[in-house]
Amino acid sequence: MLRHLRLMFCFAKFSLLGELAFRSNFLLKILVELIWLGILLTFFKTIFGKSSNVAGWNEHEFLFFVGAYYALEGFVETFFLENCVEFSELVRSGNLDFCLLKPIDPQFFITLRRVDWSTAPKILLGFIMISFAMYEIGKPLELWKVPLFLILFLCGCSLAYSFLLLLTSLSVWMIRNQSLMEVWWLFTNLMRYPRQIYDSEWALPIRMVFGFIIPALLAVSIPVEFAVKEINIEFTLFLFVIAIVYFQLSRMFFNYSLKYYRSASS
Amino acid sequence: MIVIKTNNLSKQFRVYEKPAGLIGSFKSLFNNKFKDIHAVENINLEIHQGEIVGFLGPNGAGKTTTLKMLSGLLFPTNGNATVLGYVPWERPIEFRKAFSLVMGQKSQLWWDLPASDSFELHKEIYKIDPVKFKKNVGELTEIFQVDNLLNKPVRELSLGERMKLELIASLLHDPKLLLLDEPTIGLDVVAQSAMHRCLYEFNQTRKITILLTSHYMRDVETLCSRILVISGGKMVYDGQLQGLKDEFGKEKLIKIQFKNLVPDQVFSKFEQLEITGGIVRLRVSKNDVPSVLAVVSQCEEVLDISIEDPPIEEVIEKLFVSHRSKTL
Repeated sequence: MLRHLRLMFCFAKFSLLGELAFRSNFLLKILVELIWLGILLTFFKTIFGKSSNVAGWNEHEFLFFVGAYYALEGFVETFFLENCVEFSELVRSGNLDFCLLKPIDPQFFITLRRVDWSTAPKILLGFIMISFAMYEIGKPLELWKVPLFLILFLCGCSLAYSFLLLLTSLSVWMIRNQSLMEVWWLFTNLMRYPRQIYDSEWALPIRMVFGFIIPALLAVSIPVEFAVKEINIEFTLFLFVIAIVYFQLSRMFFNYSLKYYRSASS
Repeated sequence: MIVIKTNNLSKQFRVYEKPAGLIGSFKSLFNNKFKDIHAVENINLEIHQGEIVGFLGPNGAGKTTTLKMLSGLLFPTNGNATVLGYVPWERPIEFRKAFSLVMGQKSQLWWDLPASDSFELHKEIYKIDPVKFKKNVGELTEIFQVDNLLNKPVRELSLGERMKLELIASLLHDPKLLLLDEPTIGLDVVAQSAMHRCLYEFNQTRKITILLTSHYMRDVETLCSRILVISGGKMVYDGQLQGLKDEFGKEKLIKIQFKNLVPDQVFSKFEQLEITGGIVRLRVSKNDVPSVLAVVSQCEEVLDISIEDPPIEEVIEKLFVSHRSKTL
């Protein structure tokens, strides 16, 4: 565990050094992320300018949700997304060879070896929004809820990571896997809004598929509901269990896929 | 001590065949055709500690596929192998710590960072003791003479400089086995010689076993006493380099320099490669060498004479041709 933390520190350090070698690109990427946040908040303010309630969520609760989503997205993008996207190129070029030869867990090395520092501010901004929303709600989060909320938030991150890893593993067979980003975009759209917006009858298939089978709808909704709404024990436990199941499944699938790696010619 | 042992090691690939053109592409959407390629067939070999073995073969012969199976990157279709006492494709951590694979066409250094940063990362990944790490970096940079390159971003280095640093990175954790896949590709003669010197020194001082593929015969002649030759996925020769020369190089190249022009008919019964001015180059069988010398002794004013083996490239080519004609 300590060794993995030391390695993560090294990956983070060398990624930052690499990013700083191209400062303008780094700063531009941060600027784009800030513009995205601005658009998201403008949209949010416009909606709540017309209505005080969206699918049972008031403005401050919804702001908490947006903050949690933004932090989760930032977490996945900072640590995993770039590595997973790059995986298909590693397979195509044969450079995956070097990752597999290193004496460390291949999943750990392949999915964490580069940290995208330009998206790291999103995590901080997300938690600032969460704190601001708590302040506006006027009822501070009880102390016992804080660690549990963080654990559920990490379960949401783990679920998102597992989806990414499953999609990433397919690159071994597909070689070119641009669909990964498309599917990831679909998942982020499902996670972006509270699951209650799919409560109507026509959305039943979406609710069933993305609420239970591929539970993207739960990744942000359940931790936030736990923090600011009535606690739904069944769904909270379900998220906890499904996060572990998905993590194990995706890990097994990833290791299975590596057996089919053909290593591009020299 | 046996470092590498294989028993009927084989690898078959299924290759997708797509007909050319737009219609062919559409057809292949519904009717995929595959072809099975035998990249490596029944390879049996034993390599002992401290040996430097050259692994030769034409393009597509199966050299890299064999190296990748020995390093655990590819699972064989048949047969088995042990490398340093481990089954490579099980990829145990201890095995991965004990060897290095260097590929001349691929880089494991971080492109935008100086090599010293990549070395630091290696230290953490391989859990190298800090004192040993410092000692190894010092020794290796001295052997490879690259002290002044450690802090330059890798992308700004020349190919030769980068290859030296790639080799240093692969040696930092004191591997017992070094698998080199065309390590001198694209290097100039000076850089190649430096690489030979460093590898030889490393082999002598640390008793590291080296298996090397290369298309440059200089690499093989300078470094390897034993060579393996593979053609069409099959091992066609395993033995001393001199043995190969004796078996397939039954001819000699003779160069004679005369002070004056020599009439063509003097050497007409031998294969003449070149007669320009006073220089005569002949290719003769070993048995005919005395006859050539007898003719030369009757000539006047001989300035110089040399008798050489044919270049090793020619010998290897003969071996490939002979193997191909046997399999057809």
